[in-house]
Amino acid sequence: MAETEKVFDRETLLDLTVNVIPLGILTIFFAAYIVFNPFGFDSVISGVQLAIIGTSAVLLAILTYYSGAAVSRAENRQEALEEKEAAELEAEDAAAEDATEADDDTAEA
Amino acid sequence: MAAEQLLLTGLMGVLLVAVVALLTRVEDWRSYTPLAGGGGYGGEATHAHEEKPGGLVRWLTTVDHKDIGMLYGLYAIIAFAVGGLMAVGIRFQLITPEGALFGNQFYNAILTSHGITMLFLFGTPIIAAFANYFVPLLIGADDMAFPRINAIAFWLLPFGAILIWGGFFLEPVTGGTIQAAQTSWTMYTPLSVEQVNPGVDLMLLGLHLTGVSATMGAINFIATIFTERGDDVNWANLDIFSWTILTQSGLILFSFPLLGSALVMLLMDRNLGTTFFAAEGGGAMLWQHLFWFFGHPEVYILVLPPMGLVSLILPKFSGRKLFGFKFVVYSTLAIGVLSFGVWAHHMFSTGMDPRLQASFMAVSLAIAVPSAVKTFNWITTMWNGSLRLTTPMLFCIGFVSNFIIGGITGVFLASVPVDLVLHDTYYVVGHFHYIVMGAIGFAVFAGLYYWFPIFTGRMYQKRLGKWHFWLSMIGTNVTFFALLLLGYLGMPRRYATYEFGPGVAPLNLVELSHQAASVGAFILLVGQLIFVYNLVVSWLEGPEVDEGDPWDLEETGQKTKEFVWHEDKISTALTDGGDEEIATDGGEKATATDDEDEDVMTDGGNAESAADSE
Repeated sequence: MAETEKVFDRETLLDLTVNVIPLGILTIFFAAYIVFNPFGFDSVISGVQLAIIGTSAVLLAILTYYSGAAVSRAENRQEALEEKEAAELEAEDAAAEDATEADDDTAEA
Repeated sequence: MAAEQLLLTGLMGVLLVAVVALLTRVEDWRSYTPLAGGGGYGGEATHAHEEKPGGLVRWLTTVDHKDIGMLYGLYAIIAFAVGGLMAVGIRFQLITPEGALFGNQFYNAILTSHGITMLFLFGTPIIAAFANYFVPLLIGADDMAFPRINAIAFWLLPFGAILIWGGFFLEPVTGGTIQAAQTSWTMYTPLSVEQVNPGVDLMLLGLHLTGVSATMGAINFIATIFTERGDDVNWANLDIFSWTILTQSGLILFSFPLLGSALVMLLMDRNLGTTFFAAEGGGAMLWQHLFWFFGHPEVYILVLPPMGLVSLILPKFSGRKLFGFKFVVYSTLAIGVLSFGVWAHHMFSTGMDPRLQASFMAVSLAIAVPSAVKTFNWITTMWNGSLRLTTPMLFCIGFVSNFIIGGITGVFLASVPVDLVLHDTYYVVGHFHYIVMGAIGFAVFAGLYYWFPIFTGRMYQKRLGKWHFWLSMIGTNVTFFALLLLGYLGMPRRYATYEFGPGVAPLNLVELSHQAASVGAFILLVGQLIFVYNLVVSWLEGPEVDEGDPWDLEETGQKTKEFVWHEDKISTALTDGGDEEIATDGGEKATATDDEDEDVMTDGGNAESAADSE
């Protein structure tokens, strides 16, 4: 759960809103065709009718979920790597600074 | 008689082998390896690189992704010229109501061939040209995942073209027994089953070959993007063009095999007496369902990579990174999925159940959203940007403008009641030509001009580039806006003549609109002649580009990997011959970057900027 929360952080969810809009449109039509159907209900035809919209929506939701997760995980790994590199660089700088100070002390002595 | 023919065939075979052998020995085929010499069968050849022979053999045997990209490009440009001349023929025919140039049958033949040529022989291959050359460079791969399959995929195409155009060549030879196909590009049954002309079979076989080629290419791109990415390229910083190629390849993988199956069924109905599409069998509507289940994803197969090109190029000349990069990525994927749920909007007037029409309308309206999102992203990227109106940028802006008109006219058509009025009129023709020429064509031109320095090592003539743009922009809008008007006037599509009574459409206005469209087509023709002249002359004699960043992309931190590769190539060429001044090349590079970036300027800096820019 913690992993899911981390993957789908606020920024990722904001990015995914772009696909939420067509999903919303499909959902509205899906509901509207159930509630309001002037051509009557036929188990086969109405089933196909709703399946076309429903399948499109479900597939879109699945692809959005997995692509969002893949991109977000890659981003997290990249950020972690960059942070690690920055920390290493900082440590190297600090070590170099210490060495310089030590040299200075030796010279002064 | 038979012996004579056999002898003649044998002699022709010997002659062809001799010609090929001669061609392989011709030196200096403008190979871009500077040391390349001629090569031939059995002869001593000087090779630029051991792995590549010289001369024509190099191009016939190459498995290098860049060479194959060039072959795709050459093939597509030739197909564009053929398809374009057919379009000019169509437009000149329709200047007068009785038809100015051809008989009805020949008009039907070039109408059919124009559509198939532009979609299957120009559109898909030109995208494959860009993808082959640049995707491996953009993702830091050494080559495609399956280089030999890549070569096979290309070499199927020329045979496909020969078969598709075969009827035109064979008609005079066979005394009209075999003619060019006249089925229209949609090949609707029962017409396509009942036409006895064997030219239709040739065309179907040719189409099948192009489909196999596209599928092989798609598998290769998917494998390459998933498995051959460089260490520093991940899903978060994969460039937008590669994203669109990945999505397009997925669409090809799910749709082209279906077209192949439907084509085999059609061939069997025509030749083996099966009844897949006969009234007593599956029915004519089955063809339409199968065809459009392929056909609508095909539209996105053709438009997604050009959208990727524009998303890649437009920010480079706007002085800022693409606004909402991830919006564009996710909306590309959304289009990919939804494109499989809209096919029957091409069939609203076939009498299908209104409940089914309603569901296809819903998905068609939903798919407009991701396309609109992209458009807003491009506009927002340009908004208050530091625009540089170079030729590739002009074509990108032209793309956005034309795509808006083509897209919005499409949204109207997605609505069932509007479609029932406008179906099978020139409005539909105007709508999709705004997309295929006004958008896809323009993005292709943008890509060609943008990467011209990389694949030729030279710069094009800028003034001619701008002439090309403006003539194309004006020509496109004059021609295809006139087609939209013709649609409103009720002019039905596909007709070779239009001598109908005033009850059908106001003839004077229709004739005037047709003439306006033909004037626009002539303007387009002049623009494309300038393009071809510029392409050829600049390739041969244009000023050499000796810097790795001809578009000053580093200024805005947008230098992507292909230009880093280009720069490396130039600097490597300078050190050829064992010059020991290799270190100075590195130094030259250092001067091009900020001093404080020295540590990361060779690889990391560029890779990082590439990642950031996308």
